[in-house]
Formats: sequence, structure tokens, C-alpha cells
Amino acid sequence: MTFGAGRLSNMIRNQRNEEYRMLELSRLSKRYGAVVALDECSFRVERGRMLGFLGPNGAGKTTAMRSVFNLVSLDGGSVTWRGRPVGQTERLHFGYMPEQRGLYPKMKIGKQLTYLGRIHGMTGAEAGATAERWLEELGLSDRIGDPLEKLSHGNQQRVQLAAALIHDPELLVLDEPFSGLDPFGVETMSEILRSRAAAGAAVVFSSHQLDMVEDLCQDVAIIHQGRVVMGGEVRRLKMDSPYWVIEMEMRAVDTGRLSRLESVVSVDFDGYRHRIVVRKGGDLSDLVSRLDLGGDVRHFTFSAPSLSELFREAVTG
Amino acid sequence: MTSWQAIRLVMGREIRERSRSGAFIVSVAITLLLVAAVLFLPLIFADDDVRYEVGVVGDGNQVVIDAAVALANPPGREVRTTIEVVPFATREAAERAADTEEVDGVLMDGMQIVVRGAGGEAGGALESLLQRGARSVQIESLVASGAGEVVDILTSQPLEVRSLSGADAEENSGRSLIAFGGLMLLYMAVLLYGSLILSGVTEEKTNRVVEVLLAAFEPWQLLAGKILGIGMLGLFQFVGTVVIALVGINLTGVVDLPAFPVDSILVLVLWFILGYSLFAVMFGAAGALVSRAEDAQTVVAPISLVAVAGFFIAIQAVSNPTSTLSVVTTFIPPTAPFVAPVRFAFQAIPLWQMALSVALMVLTLAVTTRLAGRVYLGGLLRFGSRVGIREAFRSAEL
Repeated sequence: MTFGAGRLSNMIRNQRNEEYRMLELSRLSKRYGAVVALDECSFRVERGRMLGFLGPNGAGKTTAMRSVFNLVSLDGGSVTWRGRPVGQTERLHFGYMPEQRGLYPKMKIGKQLTYLGRIHGMTGAEAGATAERWLEELGLSDRIGDPLEKLSHGNQQRVQLAAALIHDPELLVLDEPFSGLDPFGVETMSEILRSRAAAGAAVVFSSHQLDMVEDLCQDVAIIHQGRVVMGGEVRRLKMDSPYWVIEMEMRAVDTGRLSRLESVVSVDFDGYRHRIVVRKGGDLSDLVSRLDLGGDVRHFTFSAPSLSELFREAVTG
Repeated sequence: MTSWQAIRLVMGREIRERSRSGAFIVSVAITLLLVAAVLFLPLIFADDDVRYEVGVVGDGNQVVIDAAVALANPPGREVRTTIEVVPFATREAAERAADTEEVDGVLMDGMQIVVRGAGGEAGGALESLLQRGARSVQIESLVASGAGEVVDILTSQPLEVRSLSGADAEENSGRSLIAFGGLMLLYMAVLLYGSLILSGVTEEKTNRVVEVLLAAFEPWQLLAGKILGIGMLGLFQFVGTVVIALVGINLTGVVDLPAFPVDSILVLVLWFILGYSLFAVMFGAAGALVSRAEDAQTVVAPISLVAVAGFFIAIQAVSNPTSTLSVVTTFIPPTAPFVAPVRFAFQAIPLWQMALSVALMVLTLAVTTRLAGRVYLGGLLRFGSRVGIREAFRSAEL
């Protein structure tokens, strides 16, 4: 008698999925008059991982993120947290940074953060102590008694981040957290998001900076016209991509000839290197021989497509 | 977190942040200055010497008159007030003299004042002067004996007043003061605190903090907390002003009140709460429709207009508390908060009308709160240009 090893591993995997499945958006639909904002949009964010939420402007990112906080009256679909519908109690454990940043300009930042901690269920003392700790970490200890409007733009952004994190949320939803940040701000933000995920939080953020997403995120969801057109683990998506990317540097290559080769999808030349996207399937050595490399090859790499290429592929079809 | 906890948090923030803000402190100071000005200016600007002739009957009158004269002539005051005493043998003779205006009033046994009629300038001022004199005599004897309640003395009239032309006129002058003063305060408070709601809601939308708040709160909790918090401040200021004004009136004797009108104060407070709530809810919804403070005034114009209309109808009710217009507007919720207390001050509203008016108001409040809550929610997250009220209503189908 053989024990169903396959079934056992499936069981284990399902169990782990249950445990890890934190936020799940399933088949969200929303129309504003004739405009379709969300069209059966589905994806999930798991604990300890970061998901990059990508899409062109107007694809429905903000609407989807708002729906997590019940800020959108959905026409259909559901948002669940650990398998249960999201209500006010669940949302106490969520942190949110809206695309349009905003806090009370005239309220002292220490008091402001304390208040935001309390509205997420912390006691006054707890929230006060955490606010102090965050301001210290962000280098703003000496400004604790200043109203927000007295701070520089960059420092206001820091306070905004602390506002989303003050209650140590299990889920972080950030709408374009990197926009408007200088390189130091970007670094601080990346560090903090990484450490939140490492501490077990589920993190989702939207961005147009695909390189950064590729750098930070294990998972992505690409939304286009209200629908998730590509989603999953970044590594898997790359491996599963039907394309390879060849990057090479050599003298005297006829770009026109390369692009006419069978299975070549596109050829780019940036003045130094050619970047050739080829369809998978054929024999690689055959392709290489047909490239007719000749002499003088200074660089030749062979890789999966970048996230930008996956994105372009997903969105333009 | 329960809804009540959420509401309390919002309320607490409103009270803490606003009570500390300069604008609030200035508005409290200005209100108190206005009250003080109304109470004390007539004393300061009185510029003619005053002379009264008072008939006296029986004993114990001189001490009251001496005290009154002393009070009327504080050191440094240039205007002199004198009281000439005309003794009469019998009560009847004294009353006859008062009726023919031979004397300005009659003091009997240091216990009772008889005046010809009320409302007359000399009669009212003399009466309140004698009342103050009698009160200071009472206080002195209290200090000497150590018995009795100061509050009783301050809030009651030491001398009984009898009017030869009937008591109604007397009472009416006091009542119209309560009605008119109360109406002014009520109107100011409703508009002032209502507009604080408006600017508070718009402000949260303008600086976008509302999205962070709504991620944790339900919209109605946010609106309720804001209305309750600002309402508490308003109530505090309103009741404080009314009490200070009344105590001040009793002490300075600028005008004479029949008695400390506790019932009228309670009715004023009740209608302040109801009126403020109704207008606050409407202002809150209006505030959610605009993203910029400049647009706010346009949106609230219709609401403010209703309040102004209510105010003018109520002024009409001061002179004519039982007219058809006054009765009808008692049952129209947006005007009721102004008209009903005025009619009550004149005791010109039957209990059933008051009860019905309050019931209609509460019902309207319940309905308006739901509708306004929906407009509020629909408007809040639509930034940029002004949101139409129907559009906001439709977009919030939660």
C-alpha cells in the first residue's frame, strides 16, 4: 500500500496557504458611471512578504487599495483578512498611507501620532511612548512639540510614514509611498518596509518605479483596466515568461538583420549593447549560431526578462 | 473598538485642539465682553443726577433706602442719586400717592415695593435699586449672624413687588428680555458652532487627513464625534454666557427680572442642543462637498438663510408670541429652535405644542442625520471640484 505522498504534500501546502493567506481581494468590481475602475480584480498579500502593485495610471490601483479600508462601495467582490470579511475590528490592525498624503497641519506631531495610535486601539500611554520612539528613529525627537506645518516636506513625509506604522500593523497598504522622496528618503522607506515584512507583516504598495519593486518585492500584481493581468512570485513569473533576454556587446552588428531572425521579438540598441528579446521554445544553440556572432564579442548574457519587460508585456499584451 | 470609543476619541481631539486654539479663546472673550458691555455700559454712561421720591409706610425702610443710596453712589462717581423719603401714615394713602405719581414708588415695612406700573423707566430703575439695597442689607445681616444661604439671596428678590396696574406688564418686561437675549445667544451659538463644524469638515478634506481617519473610523462616527465635541464646547460657552449674564443682571440691576428664570434657561439649553444638532448635521454634510474653504460659503448659503429666516420669525414672535406665523413655525423644525423658546419665555406655548415641536424636531434630526451622513460619506473622498449633493448621495450606497 502506498501512501499518497502527493496528497500529503498538498495538504501541507494548503495548510500553509491558510496560515499565510493574510489579505485576499477577490473579484472586486466597481464602476463610476461609464468608467470601469475595477473589473473582477483579485490578488492576495501574504504575511512576511511584500507585494508590488503595478499598473499604468488610472488602472484601478488606488480604488483597489481603498476598498481594503471600506472607502469604496464595491459593486461586487469581497475583501477578506485571514479568511474573514474585513470590518472595523480587522482594520485596527491595518496601516494605510493614502496617495494623497495628509495629516492635521496645525497639530503637534507628537500629539498627532499619539492620536493616530489611539484611533487604532492603543492606549494613550502606549501610543505616546511609541510615537516618541518612532520620532527618535526618524531623527525628529526634537520636533515632537512642533506642528506638522513647520516641518520640511521630507520630514512631513517621515511623519506620514510613522502615522501608518505607529500601531505596528499586521498589514501595510501604501499608495505610492516612494513618490516625492529624495534618494535618502527612498532608502529609509525601503529599509523600514523590509524590516516590517521581516517582522511578519504583509506589505503591499503601489509604484511606478519597477526597478525598485523588483529589488524589494517577492510578489507582484499587475493591474490593467481594472483587472489583474499578471500576478504572483516575481521569480516564478520571470521563469514562466515565454521570453529570454540576450544582452550582448560586439562591433558591427546589423540590428535590422537581428530583428528579422526567427523567434526574435525585439531588438534594442542603447549605443553600447544590444538587448534582444527572444521567444522561448527553439534550440538555444541554434539561435546562438544564427546570431552569427563572429569575433570581437565583449559581453554576452542570457537572462530572464526584467520586471519592466514583464510589465510591458502584461499591459500591452 | 466600539463605536462609542471611536466617537469619544474624535470628540476628545476636537475639544482639546479647539479649546486651545486662539480663535476659540478670542470668541469666548468677545462674547463675555459683549455681555459685560450690555450690562455695565448703561451704568457708566448715565450722566444726569437722579432723584427719586419714595413713600414709606411702617418700620425698617430707612436701612434699605440708605443701603440703596450707598450702592447707587460709589466713591468717584460724579452722577448723584438721591432718594427723598415721604412718610405716609397708611398703606392706602401711600398707594394713592403712587397711583397719582406723587411718589415714584412706595416701600412698606422694608419688605414690599409698590409701584404704579412696570416698564416705566423710573419705576424699573428705582425698583431694582431698592432690591439691591435690600439685598445688601440681607447680606450684611447674614455676615453678622452667619446663617442662611448666599445663593438664595443672590438668586431671589428680597422685596416683594406689587404693581398697581396689574402684575402682567411687570412680568412681561422681564420675560421679553429673557426671550430676546436668549434668542440672540441661541442664534449666535447655532451659527457660530455650526460654522465650526463646516470649517472642521472641509479642513479635514482639504488637508486629506480624512482618508487616514476613515481607514479606521466609520464616517458616521467621525461626523458624530465632531458634532458632539464642538457641541460640548458650544454648550459650555452658551450656558456659561447665559448664567453670567443673568447673575450680572441680578447684581447690577440694569434690568429687573421677576425671578431667576430657571425654566427658561432649561428650555433655551434644550433648544440649543436640538437646533445646534440639526444645523451641525447639515453643515457637516455641506462641508464634505467642497475641497476648499472658499467654496464652503456657497454651499452653506441655503442653510444659513434658513437660520436667518428662523431668527427673524422669532423676533416677530417676541412681540406677538401667539400669532399664526409663530404657531406654525413652531412646528417647522429649522425655525422651531428660534421660535419655540421665545414663545416659552412668554408662557405663550401650550405644553402639547412644545412637546409636539420637540418630537418633530427629534424625528427630523434622525432622518436628516441619515441623509446627511450619506452625503458626507459620498462627498469626503471626492477631491477637486465641488461635489453635487445628488452625486454625493448616489455614490455612497453603503
